[in-house]
Amino acid sequence: MKTKTIAVTGVIAALYVAVSLLVAPFAFGAVQFRIAEMFNHLIVFNKKYFFGIVLGVFITNMFSPMAAYDLIFGVAHSIITLSLTILATKYVKGNIARMVINTVLFTFTMCIIAFELMLALDFPFFYTWLTVAAGEFTVLAVGIPIIIALDKRLNFKTLI
Amino acid sequence: MLEKMIFGRYIPGDSFIHRLDARAKLLFVFFFIMVVFIANNWITYGILLVFTFLIIKLSKIRLYFLINGLKPVVFLIIFTFLLHLFFTREGPIILDWKFIKIYEEGLKQGIFISIRFTVLVILTSILTLTTTPISITDALEILLNPLKKWKLPVHELALMMSISLRFIPTLMDETDKIMKAQMARGSDMTTGNMKERMNAIVPLLIPLFVSAFKRAEDLATAMEVRGYRGGEGRTRYRKLEWALRDTLTLLTLVVLAVILVYFRN
Repeated sequence: MKTKTIAVTGVIAALYVAVSLLVAPFAFGAVQFRIAEMFNHLIVFNKKYFFGIVLGVFITNMFSPMAAYDLIFGVAHSIITLSLTILATKYVKGNIARMVINTVLFTFTMCIIAFELMLALDFPFFYTWLTVAAGEFTVLAVGIPIIIALDKRLNFKTLI
Repeated sequence: MLEKMIFGRYIPGDSFIHRLDARAKLLFVFFFIMVVFIANNWITYGILLVFTFLIIKLSKIRLYFLINGLKPVVFLIIFTFLLHLFFTREGPIILDWKFIKIYEEGLKQGIFISIRFTVLVILTSILTLTTTPISITDALEILLNPLKKWKLPVHELALMMSISLRFIPTLMDETDKIMKAQMARGSDMTTGNMKERMNAIVPLLIPLFVSAFKRAEDLATAMEVRGYRGGEGRTRYRKLEWALRDTLTLLTLVVLAVILVYFRN
């Protein structure tokens, strides 16, 4: 692994943590708006961002009051969905289309988080899925234009 | 704002729990998550509470810190309790007032789940309060070592995590600074509808990303100049040492599991 990739990955993870802890008012629980989740879109530019995002989720969840569950399910959620997106990007060209797919996949796989909350607190599964998925969908959908705007200035593909 | 974060919330100390090997503590919490699910009646939940209380005593952490850590989840716990209280309809009715009916089973489940959740939150808090993030990283690196066989870059991951832990405070400061700078220029991030708020984030994220990537670049150059060549043959400054007390701690968990299985329904 290139030294630059290691350094950039570490910093991306730190950025994820800083943004989710400072900007998002509710980053944990049944109704979540974790702004940093829009970083998930970075995966469509370069699959090397994978570890940066997963580590970011891991460290953020270490801060979570329900860390015991979040560390396992939250991280699994990111790993599974990002892998699915990487797989999908093989067949889909165009960053916007890929981001749309990424959004749909992340929204759908929020069932993992709903399952976690069901296990931890006995929340009703489908209702919780609806609420957590709504938050995730909003952040990722609104995140598409934001990430495109960022990419115009930064060119994510070559940064890592 | 930063003071509110209890993380990096390690509190230095010299208790039995502080001295435990980080690997032992991680494994303990990991298996404890499964053990709590064995409990299913008053006796077993009582045992869990006593066990947690003993651990709090052993960690010598002031109750104030733990209660502070619980604050963000109090709402969640109360909500869950009420959910069970009103929606579980089993067993005899214990309260029937106008349209509110409370069943014995609902009350019981509400209490049990609240206890289970509180106990887990407290134990994880104790883990992060008594272990430095760096030793958690080291412990994870060693525990994940067997996964190298499947080509998981364990050493690199641990290094990335250390880098990221080192940069979190820096980037948080920077986020705060840029937020204030943009607010001084008239950007409004706290009012307006969801879309307006999201749009206000762009002028925050661009400078943040630019400076973060610049830092990463500088760091990579510095690492290469100093001859960083990956994990092979590297020695450690901090060493984790497994002692008898760590084995005993894990054994306690086995004993707890056996006791819980014996007393459960």
